[in-house]
Amino acid sequence: MRLGIVRGHVTLTPAVPQLLGLTLVVLEPVTMANLRAKNGLGGGKSLVAVDALGAAKGQMVAFTEGAEAANPFWPNKVPVDAYCTLIVDSITTGNSPPVEKQESEVQQ
Amino acid sequence: MFLARIDGTVVPAAKHATLEGCRFLVAQRLEADGSTGAEPLVLVDLLGAAFGSTVLVSTDGDIARERYGNTTPARMVVVGIVDPVQGSGRAA
Repeated sequence: MRLGIVRGHVTLTPAVPQLLGLTLVVLEPVTMANLRAKNGLGGGKSLVAVDALGAAKGQMVAFTEGAEAANPFWPNKVPVDAYCTLIVDSITTGNSPPVEKQESEVQQ
Repeated sequence: MFLARIDGTVVPAAKHATLEGCRFLVAQRLEADGSTGAEPLVLVDLLGAAFGSTVLVSTDGDIARERYGNTTPARMVVVGIVDPVQGSGRAA
């Protein structure tokens, strides 16, 4: 799963029948730097995911991508590839420094 | 599958019903030269990986589906903990 911040909701008219009645949220994925800085910024490329947990705007969620995102609708087939699995209450991240890319050491 | 370093844990306020009692870890994908990826990942922890350890992650959802039922959205699962002696790349 990846982490994302809810930036808004999407309502569809019209839509393919399987998507009717699903709440869709616009998510902005969070980069590690912003997560550590706890500045509420995202920084990633936004996407739309199905949300069945009722996440509010501004909340951080963890969402799963790929075929497994359609599993919760098993056995019927739903064209969904992103699904909010959990709403984050709190995250503890260590302060281990991010290891930079190889090239930066070459320049020194 | 890929290697990742465990960086923290997530306490969920609400989660999918099938993931009751799961432990969620914040991890960063490790590149070959030991540098970390830009985006944090949240993994379902089957093995009790410790903080700061390097783990092997699989994105094949079958093991999660086997463990948590057919309707689980879990996908990235810790399938192994890398032995610190032969840690890959230059990760300390």
